[in-house]
Amino acid sequence: MKKLFAIIYKDALIRFASPWEWVFFIVLPVAFTFLLAGGTPSGEQDRRIRLLVVDEAGTSVSHQVLAELEKSTAVRSEVVSRAEGQKQFDERRASALFILPADLDISALNAGSAEVELLQQPNNINATVAERAILTALRSVSSAVGAANNAVSQREKQMPFASEAERQAYFNQSLEIARQLQADAPPRVTVIEGDTPEQQVDWDPRANSSAGQLITWVFIPLFGISAMFAYERQQGTLRRLLTTPCTKATFLLGTILGQVAFALLQMSLLVLFGMAVLNLQWGRDPLALAVILTAAALAAAALGTTMGTFIKSESQANGLSIMFGMVMALLGGCWYPLELFPEVVRTVVHILPTTWAMQGLLDLVLRGRGLVDILPEAGVLLGFAVVFFVVGIWRFRYE
Amino acid sequence: MLKLILIGLKDLKIMFRDRAALTFMLLAPFLLTLGLGFVTGSFGGGGSGLSDIPVVLVNLDKAELGNALVDVFYSEELSTLVEPSGAASAEATYRLVEEDQAAAAVIIPAGFTQSIIPTAGTFSPDPVQIEIYSNPARPTSAGVIKAIVDEFISRVEEGRISGMTAILSIPGIQNMPSEQVEALARGMFENAEADSDSTTAIALKKASQGADAVQFDPLAYMAPGMALMFLMYTVSYGGRSILAEKAQGTLPRLLVSPTLSYQILGGKVFGIFLSGVAQVGILILASSVFFGVRWGDSFGLVLLILAAVFGATGWGLLLTAIGRSAGQVSALGSSVMLIFGILGGSFISLEQLPPFVRMVSKITPNAWGLDGFTTLALGGGLPQLAEPITALLVMGASLFAVSAILFRRTNVMKR
Repeated sequence: MKKLFAIIYKDALIRFASPWEWVFFIVLPVAFTFLLAGGTPSGEQDRRIRLLVVDEAGTSVSHQVLAELEKSTAVRSEVVSRAEGQKQFDERRASALFILPADLDISALNAGSAEVELLQQPNNINATVAERAILTALRSVSSAVGAANNAVSQREKQMPFASEAERQAYFNQSLEIARQLQADAPPRVTVIEGDTPEQQVDWDPRANSSAGQLITWVFIPLFGISAMFAYERQQGTLRRLLTTPCTKATFLLGTILGQVAFALLQMSLLVLFGMAVLNLQWGRDPLALAVILTAAALAAAALGTTMGTFIKSESQANGLSIMFGMVMALLGGCWYPLELFPEVVRTVVHILPTTWAMQGLLDLVLRGRGLVDILPEAGVLLGFAVVFFVVGIWRFRYE
Repeated sequence: MLKLILIGLKDLKIMFRDRAALTFMLLAPFLLTLGLGFVTGSFGGGGSGLSDIPVVLVNLDKAELGNALVDVFYSEELSTLVEPSGAASAEATYRLVEEDQAAAAVIIPAGFTQSIIPTAGTFSPDPVQIEIYSNPARPTSAGVIKAIVDEFISRVEEGRISGMTAILSIPGIQNMPSEQVEALARGMFENAEADSDSTTAIALKKASQGADAVQFDPLAYMAPGMALMFLMYTVSYGGRSILAEKAQGTLPRLLVSPTLSYQILGGKVFGIFLSGVAQVGILILASSVFFGVRWGDSFGLVLLILAAVFGATGWGLLLTAIGRSAGQVSALGSSVMLIFGILGGSFISLEQLPPFVRMVSKITPNAWGLDGFTTLALGGGLPQLAEPITALLVMGASLFAVSAILFRRTNVMKR
């Protein structure tokens, strides 16, 4: 036991000898989590897509369009000047720019010449969503006029108007009724975020960023175990161990346990950051969280151990650890939700531990599940750990 | 000058012999671009990665509008976007969503049609709401399903309001028997539905930035994003070699040879620059060959690559001037690579970052470089590239000047 602690202490001294290690250990993970989560608003904030609107008309019709957009569940309109809107759009700081021109008024609407303009960034999903929301708003505003016109034509079928003035008065009255009906329209769709009904968890998209970054930044240094082996092999210290009463098992156990312990500490700090700064509900089931984090850390450490038996130099190991860490994180859904990947890729990525770790963490923080629910994910991660530890230990050589 | 070029070429050769460095410089950004291509659906021919969104429908209404909504999901228009399936009860759909087998469930309750279309003796004025049970792990897909339902409801409301307006506008409607009003309303609702078409009274004129000239490929953003991020590794790796040569004793040996210190430093900087140009050039070429990205103006592309590498080389040199050992420069370089990667938009679009981050991003060659590459991909030419290229050149020149002062203070190039 004393030897194990001595190895862990030695590894800690080597790893944290440079102050830059702290940058990778906590500064960068926190910065990435904060910045990526900053791109997605919290549970209390407005999650709708920002839509820049230029209201050059300032008429009742343009105000109605704005009011309808305000009701949208998809976009959040922000009225700006033409110059400001165009500038933000040209600098690609806005997905779409919606322009209500000066001639947009009731007479243009009645004459059928009303036209509005939408500038969209190409291949931008937010711009597509904004377009749908705008069409819905326009349909709503148009429908009042359409309804009034329909009322006039229905009335004309039954009893022709005596004069144009009477017709106009009937149209105005119908328009007023139509607008009132629109205003009084009850909600016809209700959205419920899927979660366990007995343990309500507020859905917060920032949970994705927190879980994803946690996995990314912990897997990379654990893959870096390979660099530690390569370093000791290059320095000749592994050979020297042969002359000491330290067995291969003790050395490997000490090295791996130490790195897993640091990983668990790092993950705990990131979880605390998520809870304290992002108000995420990481602490609902601490035991389940501990199980999935430990399983994930062991799986990553096992992969690092196996990598260490194939890689010859420290610089090779460092580069490959970062590369594998980043690629596995990306494909495991840690940066972007897996729903965005094609079906085949979504199936294939189940060979990666990052996919299972992410699924387990999302089960806890997004779906409000407990220990029993994450056991399959934890089981698969432990399976990865067993397989790769066996390969790594079997192939391990001092020289 | 010849010596300077020879030193530069020697460093380029050394770098391209280092398999570990090559893996990181070329393979990593290539693999990440490949992964991002899957996310953006760039290999499927679609505009985004979303397709075949699994949605479960429960039609308890079994009447006109409920059936119409089900038909919308099974329509030809949505056949590639959604993959609908039916379920008998709401409880069954909840389970499917919770087990991540569906992005959302749409439950159309019994009486939905009756709450909107008056039917003789059965009109129920109480609103009956369609329930969307969405999967929080698939927010984008669930959002698409919600948008489809919203649009359907919007059309239904249009018909309802049209019919109701026609009815309520009739003078003396309040005194008519309720059966007569209901019959009239139903007739008018149907008329309104038949009369309406999909166009609105306000026409929407659409325009996409640069889309007239060229179809924008998301990989035209992803590929240079990754190349520029890993370029920071390359320039710090090159800078690191100055300190490594000093530690190994080859730099002092060079200094006692009939070579001036500025020639050696110039040669090293030239080597870093050449390595960066080779790296970005190969990755951009690979994006064209393997991913079919079209870069348009070739001259603008070459100038942009040179300017981006010049700006990044300035940073590489500054890191070398600040660092005390090769290891320190290496760690510093990796940190800066990742920090600039996120600040410069290599991971997520700058549009999604807070305003202060967007402002800070201007110090990175990644942000300016990506701006230029996106301009090119959108059909822009040299005139549109003037701003990013100038910014990158100014950045590089300023950082070279600062680094030169720091080098003089730290005496790195002294025997």
